Amino acid sequence: MGPLIPQEIITGQWDFVIALLIGGAFGFILEASGFSSSRNIAGVFYGYNFVVLRVFFTAMIVAMVGLLYFSYFGWIDLDLVFVLPTYLNSMLFGGFLMGLGFVIGGFCPGTSYTAVAIGKIDGIVFATGFLIGVFLFAEGFPFYEDFYTANDLGNITIGEMFGISNEWIAFLFVVVAIVAFYVTWLIEKRVRKNMTEYKFE
Amino acid sequence: MNKNYLFLAILMILLAAGLLLVPERQNYQQIKPEKLMWDITQTSRFVTVDQVAQMIIEGDPTLELIDIRPAKDFEAFSLTNAINIPLDSLMKPDYQDYLGIEDMNVVFYGNSDIKADQAWVISKRMGYNSIYVMQGGLNCWIRKIIQPVEPEESASQEEFDLYQFRKGACAFFTGTKVEAPDAGKTGIKVVKRKKGTAVAGGC
Amino acid sequence: MHVHELNPKKTVITMVIFVVVIIAGLLTLTNPRLKYALTPEQTVLLTVSDDGGITPEKLELMLTGSTEKVEIIDIRNHYEFARGHIPGARNISAVELLEKDNIEWLKDLQEKGFTVVIYGKNQMQANGPWMVFRQIGFSNVHVLLGGYQYYLAYKNHETQNYSPCKADFNYAEVAKVSVTSGEDNNQPAKKTTIVRRKKKGGAVAGGC
Repeated sequence: MGPLIPQEIITGQWDFVIALLIGGAFGFILEASGFSSSRNIAGVFYGYNFVVLRVFFTAMIVAMVGLLYFSYFGWIDLDLVFVLPTYLNSMLFGGFLMGLGFVIGGFCPGTSYTAVAIGKIDGIVFATGFLIGVFLFAEGFPFYEDFYTANDLGNITIGEMFGISNEWIAFLFVVVAIVAFYVTWLIEKRVRKNMTEYKFE
Repeated sequence: MNKNYLFLAILMILLAAGLLLVPERQNYQQIKPEKLMWDITQTSRFVTVDQVAQMIIEGDPTLELIDIRPAKDFEAFSLTNAINIPLDSLMKPDYQDYLGIEDMNVVFYGNSDIKADQAWVISKRMGYNSIYVMQGGLNCWIRKIIQPVEPEESASQEEFDLYQFRKGACAFFTGTKVEAPDAGKTGIKVVKRKKGTAVAGGC
Repeated sequence: MHVHELNPKKTVITMVIFVVVIIAGLLTLTNPRLKYALTPEQTVLLTVSDDGGITPEKLELMLTGSTEKVEIIDIRNHYEFARGHIPGARNISAVELLEKDNIEWLKDLQEKGFTVVIYGKNQMQANGPWMVFRQIGFSNVHVLLGGYQYYLAYKNHETQNYSPCKADFNYAEVAKVSVTSGEDNNQPAKKTTIVRRKKKGGAVAGGC
């Protein structure tokens, strides 16, 4: 059955409609999870709030397990699902940069918009800076194109790279996620005990 | 810690463990045997040599001829712009890329139509559409296009028209009327797909 | 800290819905009636091996000799069948071949060690059904080479050897007979081959 557009069940013209619906739902979840608050986001780096890690890890393992089941039921053909090409260098660098942005700015790109939506001034400043950054990156792209595309591994998945089945990867990730939930909960408890300036509800 | 968390964690691990138990995913590309049998009983998969000749002469860009004979036979003789996929290599990934191209009509041919039809059945099973078999194969091609037989005088006008067409086609394919080959155009151009043209987004 | 973090009731409800969906999927998962026993690769090998074809001579031998148990299926339509068929043949037209009763019957024959020969008016007609039977696991099904037309010719002793897949001509020779121009003696074989390959994937991707 799925994915709908590559299988031509619906036309590509629905792209934006679907994007709008998913975007709306995503924004709602971000706001509902409290990600419009920089404290929640930056908290990961100080160890007093791991809600970001928990929300994203939960989303990831549920989506992963769900997709594999759907694939087994024949509801979706995973071979047709687009896999982002892996440019190793730029991804390592980009990941580092994003982490830096997280802890300095207190938002990730998506949450900056939810912050704008609820009228936070720091969110507006962040989003503006983000747009300027996108513009500069696009204009200057020829200068660092070589770096950007270096170490191209192609449209590869972890399973293909290491020769493990997707089911095992999903299982391992679920175990890792649950261990991470427990460990971060312990860290959170210890760190919060020593914090007095920020009151937890 | 809340009991519900424990419940959620165990549930998630059980679900993931369940994945390890389910049997390997079937290939959904393949069509069901019932559907395959139904398609086989339809004769719409056949194209005549006259139709193929016409498409070649008109330079129909959607025509993709696939020669399923061994490479040696292909070297010796093949139809214009045909691609060689020996029947025994039909399932090799390299050759699979020639099937299922959007807007292309694949026509299988061999010496006769039996082997071409077998290639058709396997490709059909793999879920490819717009695939056809050249009726009679090359034997029929030679008999009808290269050595057309003049119909008897009592034959209908259509048969004479067909004969005229075949005479013309024969001239086209055997070079009686010279189609000047473009000297610079030899060799094979492979137009491959571009990788990674999609727009990528981040968080 | 959010209130529901202390008691994740909503998360539990969501997860239960997720599990219900998965269970619904498991329950609706139907077992296909017919499954492929041969992989596409094995099918390719089968077509290359020329295995599974039976000549009329061999069929006669099998019918006259008492050692082998043979069933013959005529897949032409009833009208054609009524006008003449191989003695002892059973008429099941091509569209009815995979019906439940017929599959049961074939399974029964396979267990009893029968050899099944199917034929159409020419070999082409029986070729596809024969391949389907082989692919769904009936390894005892054979196809009559040349079909009914050739069988009749064989009966009337007016046959040559049946070899449908051989080249009747030396194509390269025949095709260049009438080349009269001095342009390029080497045939019209020089050509541009523009090969297109299919695109894979190609959806617009989004990130987190």
